[in-house]
Order: sequence, then C-alpha cells, then structure tokens
Amino acid sequence: MIKKSRKVRDYKALTKALPTLRYLDPEYVYIHLNNARAKTYDLYVKEGDYVKLGEKIGVRHGGFFEQPIHATVSGVVGPITKKFHRTGRKVDVVEIRNDFKDTYHPSITDRPDHVIEQLSQEDMVDIIKDKSLVGLGGSGFPSYIKLGTKDPIHTVVINAVECEPYLSSDYRLILEHPNRVVKGLKYIMQALGAEKGIIAIKSEKDPLYEVLTQVLKVRFPDLHIEVAKLGNHYPQGWEIEVFKYALGIEIPHGVLPTKFGVIGFNVSTCVGIFDAIKHNLPVIKRHFTLTGDAINFPQNIRVRVGTSVRDLIKLSDGYKEGVEEVNIVMGGPMMGVSATSDDIIVSKTTTSVIVLKNTEYVEEPCVRCGSCVYSCPVSIEPVQIMNAVKRGDKDAMKGLQANKCIECGLCAYVCTSKIHVTDYVRKAKKLIG
Amino acid sequence: MPKIVRKSAPHLRRPNASVTRMMRDVTIALLPLTAFAIYKFGLAALWIILMGIFAMAVTEYLYYQVLDLLEGESFKWRNKSFTLYNFSAITSGLIYSLTLPDNTPLFVVFLGGSLGMFLGKLVFGGMGQNIFNPAAVARVLVVINFGTMVSYDVDSVAGATALQMLSEGAFNPAVLDSFSIVNLFTGIGIPGSIGEVSALLIILGGAYLAFRTSFEVRIPLMFVGTVFLLTSAVAIYQGLGLWYPFYQIFSGGLMFGAVFMATDPITSPITKPARVYFGFALGFLTVIIRLFGAYPEGVVFAILIMNMFVPSFDYYKWTHSKFNKKRNIIFASVIVLSMIIVLVGVSYVG
Repeated sequence: MIKKSRKVRDYKALTKALPTLRYLDPEYVYIHLNNARAKTYDLYVKEGDYVKLGEKIGVRHGGFFEQPIHATVSGVVGPITKKFHRTGRKVDVVEIRNDFKDTYHPSITDRPDHVIEQLSQEDMVDIIKDKSLVGLGGSGFPSYIKLGTKDPIHTVVINAVECEPYLSSDYRLILEHPNRVVKGLKYIMQALGAEKGIIAIKSEKDPLYEVLTQVLKVRFPDLHIEVAKLGNHYPQGWEIEVFKYALGIEIPHGVLPTKFGVIGFNVSTCVGIFDAIKHNLPVIKRHFTLTGDAINFPQNIRVRVGTSVRDLIKLSDGYKEGVEEVNIVMGGPMMGVSATSDDIIVSKTTTSVIVLKNTEYVEEPCVRCGSCVYSCPVSIEPVQIMNAVKRGDKDAMKGLQANKCIECGLCAYVCTSKIHVTDYVRKAKKLIG
Repeated sequence: MPKIVRKSAPHLRRPNASVTRMMRDVTIALLPLTAFAIYKFGLAALWIILMGIFAMAVTEYLYYQVLDLLEGESFKWRNKSFTLYNFSAITSGLIYSLTLPDNTPLFVVFLGGSLGMFLGKLVFGGMGQNIFNPAAVARVLVVINFGTMVSYDVDSVAGATALQMLSEGAFNPAVLDSFSIVNLFTGIGIPGSIGEVSALLIILGGAYLAFRTSFEVRIPLMFVGTVFLLTSAVAIYQGLGLWYPFYQIFSGGLMFGAVFMATDPITSPITKPARVYFGFALGFLTVIIRLFGAYPEGVVFAILIMNMFVPSFDYYKWTHSKFNKKRNIIFASVIVLSMIIVLVGVSYVG
C-alpha cells in the first residue's frame, strides 16, 4: 500500500472504559537501586532495618545528577537481588517487606496553599530534586533539570496524548483525577512564570475534554489554561509533534524547546509534581496499564512502585489458555522494550506492561513501495538507510540523516513487505554514532 | 505458562498490507482490459494472454527450482524459494501480453516473455532487485527481434494504426477522419495492441488502484500531463487544434504504459518528489521519441531509459522526501526548458 499512513490501530478499548483497579498492598516491594541513567548507588539502610513510607533510603548517582531513593511502603528491609528493569537490563533491587501499616515518614506533610503561593522556582526545583521526580512518561529524565530552566517560558504544555496503542493509564488518570492534573500544571506555571498552560489530548478522547473543561470552568476559572485537541495519528505524542499541532511551532532537530519559550511535561509527571509540592510526597504509586491480547483480564491498575509484574499478571487471571508464545513489552507496543521474563518490577517510569501473542512475521523482499518514506515523522528515508546498512555504506547513512530517527517504529509498522525497517535504522544510528 | 519471546520494537504491524495484495490488485485492475481484449480480438487475444502469463510464470518457477536444486535442496513442487504466490510474475505476464498486437505468433509471445522475465528480473536477483520492468523488457525484445513478424492488423482504409498515421503525416488534421477522439478514448474500432486501445478502461483500472492505494498515482498523472502539456505547446506552435494533444495521449501505449508499467514501484524512485520528476521525465522522453525518433511509439523505450536513472534519483546526496520552494523553482524551470527544446526540435522537423 503506497500511501502516507500514520494511523495505528489502537486497541485501547480493552482497558479504556474500565475503572482503575487498586492494588496497593503487595507483600514485598522491590526498589530499583540503579537504572539506565544512574549506574551507581549508595544505600543508607541494611537488611533488617525498619523504614517508613517516603523515607530516603539511598541515593543513585547519575552522570550529572543525584537521585534520592525512597521507600514506597513502611516495613523491614530485605536482601539486595537482581531483577529486570524497564530498559530490559537486570539491575540491583532492594526488597522491603510491607508491614501494611503505611506509617508515613515525618517529612511527609502537606504544604498549606499560602506557603505554596510563596514558593519560587528555586524552592520548587529543590523540592522536586529532593523527591527525585523524573519524566514519568518513560523518559526518566530528572524533572528538576527541566523545571530549573533559565530560558523564559511563556507556555507550558502537558502531554496527555498517549498515542501508543493499548495504553490508557494517562486517560484514566485524567478522568479520575483531573484536579491533580490542573493543580500540577498550575504549580509548574507558577515556577516558570508562564502565562499560559495547554493540556494536549487526542481529539478522539472527548470524555477527557469534557472533564477538563468542566473542572477548569468550575474550580479554576482564573487560570489561563486551555485544553487542545490534537490529531489522532501516531506519533502525535512525540513532544515535537505536540508543539507543532498544539502551538504551531516547528522545533528543528537538536534544539531544545525551551529556546522557543515552550516546555512540555507528561501528564503523569505533572501529577507527580502536584504530589511532591502539595503533599511533599515522592512517587510511591502510579497508574499502570496491564493489557494485551494474551492476558485474560486487561486492566488499568493503580500500583505501588516496586510491585512485581508477576503478581499483577496473576491478579489479571494470568495468561490466556492455549497461547504458547508471548512477548512481554514494557512501555507501548511501538517503542517499548521486550523482556525475557515476567519477573519485572514496576518502577516509577514503567507506564505499562503489554502481553502480546507472539507473531512471526514473514518478510518478503522490499518492493520499494515507499510507504516508510511517506510516513516517516522526521522525513528521512528508512528504506534507503536499510539498504545502506546492508552494504555497509556509512557515508550514505550519514547523508540520509539516520541520526534524526526517533525510533517511533512507524516504518516497520507500515511496511508492505513486513520488513523490520526500524531495526536497520537503529543499527545505522549505532554505526554512525 | 507460555514461553516468553524477546523481540525488538515495534511489536505491531499494519494489518492487511502485503506484497501479494498489491500485485493482485494490479491483476484485478487489468481484468476489464483483458475482457475487452478478448471481446474485441477473440480467441487470438485469449491465447496471447495465456501464453504471456505462462511464459513468465514458468520461467520464474523453473529458475527458482533450478536454483534450489543447485543449492542441494530436495525436489518439491512448492519449493523453498517458491515465489509465484505473490502474483508478481502473473502481473508482469498479463501486462506484457496486453501490449502485444493480436497477430503475434505464439512462439514469439513465449520467447519474448521468457527472455524478458529472465533478463529483466531474474538475473538481477528476483523481485525487488530488478532494475528494468520485466514486461517492458519483454515488449522491447519482441519489437527489436521479431519486428517483421509483429505488425498491427489494420483495416485497408486507414492502412496504419493511429500513432503510425500521426508519425507519418505529422501535424495533419486529416488523421481525425480515420479515428475520432471519442473512438480513441473508448477503444472502439481502433487497431492496436490488444490491451492498449481503450483509454477508458485503463483509467478505470487506474482509479481502482488509486482507491486501493496500490500504486503511486503521481507518476501516471505527471506522465500523461507532461505529454499533454508538451504536445499542446506543439499544437499551438503549429496552429493545430486541441485535438492534437488529446490524440497524442489517447493513442498508442501511453495510457497503458503510464498506469501499469511506469508505476511498478520496484523500478520507480522512492520519494514523492522523485516520483513526480520521474513521471515528468517519462513524459518528456516519450514526446521526444514520438516526434523525432524512428519508432512511432516511445512509451516503452522511455520507461526503460528512465528505469536506468532511478538510482540517480535516489542518490543519498540529493534525495529528499519533501518538496521545498527552491527545488520547485528548479523543477518549474526544467519544465519550461523542456517545452523550448521540443518547440525548437519541431521547428526543424516540421
């Protein structure tokens, strides 16, 4: 099929309309000690110690930042083991045995509104740094660095597009907690001195539009916040694409959006900022989608950070009968990483686990139909990069700008011959560094 | 507990997209033409079509059988590298046979088809690797090698096909006495290749392909549009009426070649702008060959010549997947230049 095709079948109906299940009291939680961005760590507690909910139990060291580690339950510290992280690597985790009392650490106290109103950008950056908030949409980039930008910002955009198929946790989050989203946005606007806020949603998500406009009208009439309905195509949720459709600003490759006076936050991050500033709480719970065509009861679940996915799969009545091979995908099915085991821990940045029936696609020879070239969101030519990789031509890979690729996976999705084009482009990116 | 398989993203693929679907669509789009050919030329057309498809399919089948046997595979009717299921050979065979005149001897049909498939596609490594359109190669092989055996069966009054008349009696409105534009458009009462005569049915097939997004509609639009534009310029220069450009686009294999041969994705450039330029270059070359060349027909030659230049359209130093202002201006000046070239040529010839 030779056409520009940016519609991806979304399969959201599996979970979208169901209320979020709460599963907040696992017997054990496992807290990641290192991750893709922070390789080393110090742990302040040892096996047998008693920790309280929200207590700082250690610190991760990243390349240019430090990240405190918080306990997400109260209970007794167990041994350090290795479990899978969202990125597909095995990392160290510390086990905490839940005492089911949820004893809060004394530092977790609500801030009164009149105190919040006095907070400056530096104060908020300090709070968020202390609560180790990161990009909860999956990037894991420390939010305090973004919030501490020195560029003048006039517009804050909350990205609630969620363009990946299957996922609906952000959708449920806004539907169930619109107040927290709007308040989080209010705090961000206050920190950055921005005049305008935009909450970007897909145009097909009408319930969200109604909920948000109603909340804004009734409870926050004096805030300058708009709800923007964007397109339904993939990858609409890519930040650059959100700015383009919500504001009409085209941000070139390699330039930070803050240079244009705009900044984007994921909607989960926005709620995280609300929790950190209002309740002085680190991320201890998150909305999580467990779905896919190989699982009995797809569902959105509100989980404690550190819960084992294996428990959650059991909670969803397990795998479907008769399915012999599955892919377990962390993140969306278009960009997510596939795991080799279901022994995964929900970290702060794990938005979802998708259990798919494994399909072996038969690759035909490329017929040069050009669908990948037509559909590419960054206007590069995936098929030509693939051919350059096959013949090892690095000049051509550079000339074809393989480094612009955002690995959205659309080229492989649309391929008439079912070739895994994205993999070749990834290889090219690696080769030309 | 199912087995957990690790894969890289994306984990989904577009449903209902396949090479077979694309190639089968071309075959379906050709069916009205096939029916019209059989209705008009009778059993002769049926035999030519069957022979053309048979020649191409059997060549591809045997080639891959031999290849598999050489690699030490044991013989199976549906062998390891079996390719016929994807309709590619059948489509090529059908296109090729529809470009032949109705009195082509069957052994010529077979030889042309078989050699065309082998030299045009298989020697390059099969589907996806070929530089030339196999149907066009086969057609040219027939013209060059068996030219004397393959002549159009024309009625005694006209004495030539529409395009031959135009080629001989250049710029003479008298050609309209033999073939009216309406007849050329519908293909009724027009001598010529069995499948090429009805522009109406070709447009119908093209519309189906465009609806199914199984071909790039820009190429035929640019191709036919360019021929129309350049011959209109000639018509104005020579003081001819509007009949002349219409006569040019409806006669010969232009419509058929533009819709079914030039659009083969394997032998056309990969980006949108390059496909537009490709269509333009095809139209320009066709006009040049028709007006100044030795053969009355230029479409197949134009397609083969431009197939050779496809890699240079896609060269990494200048390929772009989007139009921009600068390149549009250059392209517009190239169009103007091509009109000047054609008119200068006509002033010498005509």
